[in-house]
Amino acid sequence: MIQFQNVSKIYEGDVQAINNVSFNVDNGEVVILIGPSGCGKTTLLRMVNQLESITDGEIRLHGNNVKELNKIEMRRNIGYVIQSNGLFPNMTIEKNVMIVPDLLGWDRKKQRDRFHYLMELIGLHPDDYRTRYPHELSGGQQQRIGVARALAADPPVMLMDEPFGALDPIIRNRLQEEFLQIQREVKKTILFVSHDIDEAVKMGDKITLLRKGEVMQFDRPTEILNHPKNAFVSEFVGQDRVLKSMSLYSIKDLSQAISLKQKVESNDTKTIKEDTSLRIAISILLNQEADQIIVLDDAGNNLGSLTLDLIEQFLHKEVKRTEIK
Amino acid sequence: MSKQKRIAIIVKAFFWILVLAFFYWVVTNNMFSRIIEDPNKFFTLLTQHITIVIVSSFIAVLTSIPLGILLTRPKFRRGEWLVVNIANLGQTIPSLAVLALAMGVLGIGMKAAIVALYVYSLLPILQNTIAGIDSVDSKTKDAARGMGLTPKQILWRVELPNAAFSIIAGVRTALVINIGTAALAYLIGGGGLGVWIFTGIQLFDNTYLMSGAIPVTLLAILVDLGCRVLQFLLVPKGLRLAREAIKS
Ligand SMILES: Nc1ncnc2c1ncn2[C@@H]1O[C@H](COP(=O)(O)OP(=O)(O)O)[C@@H](O)[C@H]1O
Ligand SMILES: [Mg+2]
Repeated sequence: MIQFQNVSKIYEGDVQAINNVSFNVDNGEVVILIGPSGCGKTTLLRMVNQLESITDGEIRLHGNNVKELNKIEMRRNIGYVIQSNGLFPNMTIEKNVMIVPDLLGWDRKKQRDRFHYLMELIGLHPDDYRTRYPHELSGGQQQRIGVARALAADPPVMLMDEPFGALDPIIRNRLQEEFLQIQREVKKTILFVSHDIDEAVKMGDKITLLRKGEVMQFDRPTEILNHPKNAFVSEFVGQDRVLKSMSLYSIKDLSQAISLKQKVESNDTKTIKEDTSLRIAISILLNQEADQIIVLDDAGNNLGSLTLDLIEQFLHKEVKRTEIK
Repeated sequence: MSKQKRIAIIVKAFFWILVLAFFYWVVTNNMFSRIIEDPNKFFTLLTQHITIVIVSSFIAVLTSIPLGILLTRPKFRRGEWLVVNIANLGQTIPSLAVLALAMGVLGIGMKAAIVALYVYSLLPILQNTIAGIDSVDSKTKDAARGMGLTPKQILWRVELPNAAFSIIAGVRTALVINIGTAALAYLIGGGGLGVWIFTGIQLFDNTYLMSGAIPVTLLAILVDLGCRVLQFLLVPKGLRLAREAIKS
């Protein structure tokens, strides 16, 4: 767990980069740090592993004030990924990935096994890459290696500064998906810098929106999207924020909040799985000539049907927090 | 094949034909007669020449590389300007003047020659060490720091391997310059193959001149080649790939 308590940072020359920031990154959670360029995201991230000093306030890592920890030891227990991957051009991929375990004195066999595991995890064949060098790899592959390297010694906490920022949209999207998959397996405590609200909404359990070094809102993505605290937040997340939030709810969420329509016996309507997002459901309903789709559970049982009316009701209940009469 | 490459090959071929023609002339005109008549003297001069070069360069390496490393540490960064300028001074003064100065302080002999050449080789090695270390991507160093490498580990595992190419290039430059400049050691009684070269000039005797000058030239070419092999062996493969990737 990472706790920021009234943290401030003033750079030389009186530049106030961070101003009285407080929030927590709970264990196993991904918190996205987002905001316009120059708002202090990188600074705040780098204060956690003491690459930048803390001017005021405290950052606690698993309850300990980071200022009191041994810097070198602490950093070896935190995974660190940066945008331009920062791989060592003089080392093979295996040496790169295994740098921290090597510093920690792991034996050869343990390193080998770990390398195998990590490469499988990021979807690259271990033996194809072991003896190759960073310059032989594509940008996407290098970034994957960067993630594997950060995970190498199995640190409980990860700091990631726009790890997919330099990649083209298709590759970025794929890496985001892979990353979520990996996170479901490894359950790390992650502070993740992004400047892309779509990425933040997709990847974050919570989002911290910064502006000029101050926290504008710290909340779950649905809250940020549906209940922006002020004009800045609302403008930052964009006018399509409600539509964006629809991708965060599944039909199941809807059926738990308000019930689906009674079963209808009809052959011509389309069916949909209950874990599908509302965004896709809306899209299908708008495309379809029929005004309802049959919702099925995993076993294929008919649970009822979904209509645009129901989605609107859900919207009012969940998003606008008002009931339609 | 690109046009540039073709031109380069033609120029090289032309150069080597000239070299071969020259050697043919040298051998057929018995220009190496001094070496054949007095091989002992030749080996004495050659040994002196090599000793001057090796000892001076070796001490220069031992001075310049650690100095370069020191000057790229954050603490001593500000000293860089001063030290490089002092070393620059040694380089700007004509080699003959450096020799004369050394002789003035240390008297006649090989020691003065070694000191003069030492001063002369400091700068290329120092500059290349600093440039090599500075050329390491700051993002790479930042990643290393963030992962918990100590400054010493960053130096040995990241900075020096990445700077190796540049450092060896500096040593190569220093060695090749020294081999040529060591011929001047004769002027302050330091011995070396310069003895025959200057005798040849004074007596208008081409056999002396060639018996001294050609071994010096060959020595320079050989050392240059040796350094390139060393570069190939010592520079990590990944960096070679990186350089090639940038070039193409
Ligand atoms: N080393 C530094 N010295 C002085 N000012 C800095 C330094 N690093 C960053 N800043 C300033 O701090 C502010 C926040 O920068 P940064 O954390 O890099 O923002 P972000 O990552 O959100 O783009 C900016 O105004 C930037 O100019
Ligand atoms: Mg940044």
